[in-house]
Amino acid sequence: MYGWIWRHLPGNAWVRALLSLVLVLAVVYVLFQYVFPWAEPLLPFNDVTVDNQ
Amino acid sequence: MAATADDTEEQTDAPGSAPVPGRRPMGRIATAVSVFGELLITAGLVLGLFVVYSLWWTNVIADRKADREGDKVRDTWAQQDTGPGALNTKNGIGFLHVPSMKNGEVLVEKGTSTDVLNNGVAGYYTDPVKATLPTTGKTGNFAVAAHRDGHGAKFHNIDKVKVGDPVVFETRDDWYVYKVYDILPETSKYNVKVLSQVPKESGKTKPGHYITLTTCTPVYTSRYRYVVWGELVRVQKVDSKRTPPKELRD
Repeated sequence: MYGWIWRHLPGNAWVRALLSLVLVLAVVYVLFQYVFPWAEPLLPFNDVTVDNQ
Repeated sequence: MAATADDTEEQTDAPGSAPVPGRRPMGRIATAVSVFGELLITAGLVLGLFVVYSLWWTNVIADRKADREGDKVRDTWAQQDTGPGALNTKNGIGFLHVPSMKNGEVLVEKGTSTDVLNNGVAGYYTDPVKATLPTTGKTGNFAVAAHRDGHGAKFHNIDKVKVGDPVVFETRDDWYVYKVYDILPETSKYNVKVLSQVPKESGKTKPGHYITLTTCTPVYTSRYRYVVWGELVRVQKVDSKRTPPKELRD
């Protein structure tokens, strides 16, 4: 999988490393900005109130 | 010399079945196993990132937001310096100071929905029991909740609060000084009776001016609720320099 991505990135090793870094950062950004905020309420870690539900 | 050596090496290696990294044709099973392994590693990394997100990043975001909203509230207070003025409940009604939690001031806003609490503030209950705000002067229970971990983690150190510790609620005009008189270290999340106007579980039977802090326990989970009860000791007028009451000074 990662090997496949590496082989399909253009340029020499340095360019590829840079592009990989950009890709990683993009993935982390998407996770922090969209995926985790969405997933968090579905997980039972942060209910602090007492209620009837 | 080195170049020729490399060349000969490559030449001897290339024609056979020698592995050139990344080019070797893998068997179908080997490919499947390797992709599966990479997926597992990825899943592990994502879970690790989720922990970083929950315990660190949400705090960064929430503290930033809470600071901004707190400043806004203080600005509003400073502007309408005379006259009673309508209490602006939208931005927050005041600040909670609990010296034993060592977390500075916590802005208190209306409601205990995740939207509110995720801003790094404490929220006073509107549901299932309506909290009685101290500013009304009526007897009742001022019940608030805040996060134990993540999103500002404003009540993270609730277990450091001992009986007898002060809890001070600051509004535009008054300091409401409460004293902790009972603690319930673990209760069911369905136990809404802890929020009652007269919290019987804390041993009180008569109406009074109470405060209830709730959060989740043990840390990093939401299995039970932690409850701290306090009773109003006195109300102190805010002076022109906003000198904090003596409970907050030492």
